Amino acid sequence: MMLANVFTKNIRDRIPAGLLGAVTVGALLFFSMWVYAGVDTSFYYELPAAVLELVGINPEGSGAGGIAFGAIYNLMGALVLGGLAISFGASAIAGEEQEGTFGFLLGNPISRRQVLISKASSMSLVIGVMTLLLWGAGVGSAAVLDVPTDGLFIGSITLALFLNSLFYGLLALAIGSWSGNRGAASGASAGLMIVGYLAATLLPLADLEWLARIFPWYYYSSSSPINNGLDWSDIAVLAGLSIVAFGFAYVGIARRDLKDKGTNVTLLDRLRANPMTSKVMERIAGSTRVSQISVKTFSEYQGLFTITAAIMFYMGVLIPPLYNFIPEDFINIFASFPDALVAMIGGVDMGTPTGFLTGEVFSLVGPIAIIVLATTIGSRALAGEEENHTMDLLMSNPISRSSLILEKVQAMVAWAVLFGVVTFSATWIGVRIGGLDEVGVEGIASISLLLTLFGLVYGGIALLFGAATGKRGVATMVTTGIALVTWFMFSFFPLSETFEPIASLSPFHWYLGSDPLLNGMDWTGAALLAGSFVILVIASIPLFQKRDLRVGKS
Amino acid sequence: MGGSDGTFVGTFEERRDELSDLAIKTEGLTKHYGEVEALTDLNLEVKMGEVFGFLGPNGAGKTTAIRTMLDLIRPTSGRATVAGLDSHAAAVEIRNHIGYLPSDLSMYNNLTGQDMITYFSNLRGGVDKGFVDALSQRLQADLSKKIGDYSSGNKQKVGLILAFMSKPEVIIMDEPSSGLDPLVQREFQAMMREAAADGRCVFLSSHTLSEVQRVADRVGIIRNGHLVDVEFVDDLRSKAVRRVELQFTGPVEAATFEAVPGVREVEVASHHAVMSFDGSMDALLGAATDRYTLVDITTQESDLEEIFLQYYRADKESPV
Repeated sequence: MMLANVFTKNIRDRIPAGLLGAVTVGALLFFSMWVYAGVDTSFYYELPAAVLELVGINPEGSGAGGIAFGAIYNLMGALVLGGLAISFGASAIAGEEQEGTFGFLLGNPISRRQVLISKASSMSLVIGVMTLLLWGAGVGSAAVLDVPTDGLFIGSITLALFLNSLFYGLLALAIGSWSGNRGAASGASAGLMIVGYLAATLLPLADLEWLARIFPWYYYSSSSPINNGLDWSDIAVLAGLSIVAFGFAYVGIARRDLKDKGTNVTLLDRLRANPMTSKVMERIAGSTRVSQISVKTFSEYQGLFTITAAIMFYMGVLIPPLYNFIPEDFINIFASFPDALVAMIGGVDMGTPTGFLTGEVFSLVGPIAIIVLATTIGSRALAGEEENHTMDLLMSNPISRSSLILEKVQAMVAWAVLFGVVTFSATWIGVRIGGLDEVGVEGIASISLLLTLFGLVYGGIALLFGAATGKRGVATMVTTGIALVTWFMFSFFPLSETFEPIASLSPFHWYLGSDPLLNGMDWTGAALLAGSFVILVIASIPLFQKRDLRVGKS
Repeated sequence: MGGSDGTFVGTFEERRDELSDLAIKTEGLTKHYGEVEALTDLNLEVKMGEVFGFLGPNGAGKTTAIRTMLDLIRPTSGRATVAGLDSHAAAVEIRNHIGYLPSDLSMYNNLTGQDMITYFSNLRGGVDKGFVDALSQRLQADLSKKIGDYSSGNKQKVGLILAFMSKPEVIIMDEPSSGLDPLVQREFQAMMREAAADGRCVFLSSHTLSEVQRVADRVGIIRNGHLVDVEFVDDLRSKAVRRVELQFTGPVEAATFEAVPGVREVEVASHHAVMSFDGSMDALLGAATDRYTLVDITTQESDLEEIFLQYYRADKESPV
C-alpha cells in the first residue's frame, strides 16, 4: 500500500532538481539543433552505412534533428537524467537514514516497505515528468526551428531514456536499502552507469560487442531508438532489470537493522583500533589528519578521489591499447570526417592516436571526473560546514574567514594536482602498453596539467557560490549548469559562424582548443585557466567575509 | 588603551585592568532579518568574575545576540565588545580569549571525540593536555568513539571540554545543559563556579531558570528580542511572593489581614487564613497576634520559576 504523504513529500523534494535537469537538457537539445540546422548536413549520405550506425545517425536521412538527438539524448542527456535518478534513489532510504529522519518517520504506523513503495513510485513519477519534458523539448525544438523529424522516433528515445534512468535510480535505491549508505549507493550506481556507457560505445569498436552486452547501458544505446524505434527485447531487458532492482530493495529493506545517523567503520578505523598497527595509523590517519584545516579537509576526500581517479586510471591505461583494435577502414573514414561530425564526437580527429585519446579520455570523462571532484570540494568548503552546523564551532577558534578559505583551497588544489598526476601516469602507461609512439610524454604532461587547471576553475566557481550563499545545493547546481553550458559552447558553437567567436570564451576551449596532446603545452590556455581560478578564489573572500554565517539548511 | 576603532592593544591583563573587568558589553545591539526583529537595542554589561545567565523563551533572540557578539552574524546597528575588543574589528583576536559552545551542537561525525579535541587544540594552540584529561575525567567523557556514534549527552560533554580546555577568559555557552545527566550537570556547575572564582566570565543562555539559578550571579531576561530586565538572582529571591498560611484558635476576619501592606488575595475559612504576601513579616504577625491567638504558621516561598513565567508572558510592567 502506498502512503500518500510520503509520496507527495518526496515529489516536492525531488521535483526542483528534476525540472532543472530536464530544462537544461532540453535547452541543450534546442541549441544543438539550432547550430546543426545552419550547417550543411549533406555529407551524411556519402558516409558508409557502418559509420553512420556507429555514430547513431539514420542513413535514411535524419538530418539536423537526428544529429542533435544523437548528441544530446544519447549521451549528455542520458547521463544527466541517470545521475539525477541515482541521487533520488540513493537519498530515498539511505539518505533518510543518514539524516537521522528514517526512524522518526517509522515512528508512525507505517511499514518500511510502504515507505519504499511510496518513494519508488514518486521517484518514477518525477523521472517520468523529466522524460516527458524532454519529449516536449524534442518535438517543440524541431517545430520551432523547422527541422524535419521524418524518420525520427522521438517517443521511442524518450521511453528508452525513461527506462534507462529508472533502472539506475532503482539500483541506487536497492543498494541504499541494503546498506543504508548513501555514498555507496550513488557511487556504485554511477560507476556502473559510466563504465557501462564507455563499454557500450567502445567495446563494439573493437569487435567485442558480446562483452558490451553485460552492461545495462548497451540495452539503451545499441539499438539506437531515435533512428530505429523501440527494440522490444532491449526494452524488456531494461524493464526486467528495473524490476529486479526493485525486488532487491523490497527484500533488503526489511532484513536489517536501520542505522540511526551512525557512522561507518572504515578500514582506517579498524587499523587504528588494532594495537599492532595503531601507532603507525595514528600518525597517518589520527592526529596528523586533524593537524590543520587544510589537512583535515584533504583527508575528507580520499573516497571521492579514489573513485574519480580510478575511473581516470582505468580510462588512461585501457583506452590507448584499444586504438590498435580499431579496424583500419574506420581509421581512414574517421580521417575524412567533416567538421560537423567531428564536433559531435568531441572535436577531434579520431583517426589519429592523439585524437582518439583526446576524444575518448580527455574531452568528456576526464572533465566530468575532475569537475565532480573539484566541485564537490569547492561547494562543501564553506557551505558544507554551514549546512552541517559545524561552522559556528569552527569559527570560535582564532582563525579569520579569509584564512579559512585559503586553507580549504589548499586541499582542493592538492587533490586536483594528484588527479593530474594519476592522469599523467595512467595515460603514459597506457600509451606504452599500446605502443602508440606518436603520443609524446610532453603532450601527456601538457594535457594532464591543463586538465588539472581546468578542474580548478569549476572548483573555484563552486567555492565562489558557496561563499556567497552558504548553500551547497546552489553552488553545485550553478557549477553544473555552467559546466554544461561551457561544454556546449566549446563543442557546438564552432560549427556556426554566428556563435563561433563565443566558443573561445569557454574553459573547455582553453583546455582542449590547442589540441595539447598533439601540440604540447598551451601556455595561453594555462594562464587563462589559472588566472580564472585565482580570480574566483580572491573574489570569494569578500563575499564570504561580509555575510552572516548560516546554521543548517533552510 | 582604546584605539579609534574600538580595538585595544596590549596584553589581555593590561586590557582587563583598563576596562575595570568588563567581559562583554553591548551597546544598542540590533539585528533585523528583513521584517523580523530578532534583536532590538540590546544594552548589556557582563563582568569578569561572574556567571551571567541569559534567560528567555525559545526564539527570544538569545542565539542571535550570542552569534552577533562572536561576529558570526553582523549587527544591523549597535556594537559589541568581548574582552574589551570590538566584536567585528578584532574578531580573530577575541577568539583567542573565548570558549564557545553553540546550541544544537554539531561536530564532525567521522572524527572521534579525541580527534575533535586535537583538531581544535591545533587551531588554538597552547592547550594544556593535562587539563584536557582532567576535564574529561570530571565529565566522565569517553573520547574514543566517533562523534556520530555518541548520544547527545556524550556529544555535549565533548563540546564542554572544547569550550573550557583553553582556560578562556570568557566562556560563552548557548543552552549548554541539554542532554546532560544530573551528576554531570552538577560537575558542570562546579566548573562554571570555579571559572568565575578564577576571575573569568561565564555567559550562558538558557530557557529554564532552574538550569541557571544555582550558578548564576545575575540573570538577564530577554523576550521577543528585547532585554526585559537584569537582576541579581538573590534580589529576585527576596522579591519573591510568599504564600502564608495562618492557623488560629478561633474564627478570624479577612479585613484584619488586608489592612497589612503587602498582603493580597486573602482567603479565610473559619480558623484558617491563606494569603499572598511580600511585605514585612513583623507587621503581619503583629496584626495577627494583636486580636487572635496564633496556633501555627506555614510560609512557602513561591517558585522563582513563576516569576520568570510572568516575565515570559508579558512585558516588564506586569510581573510580580
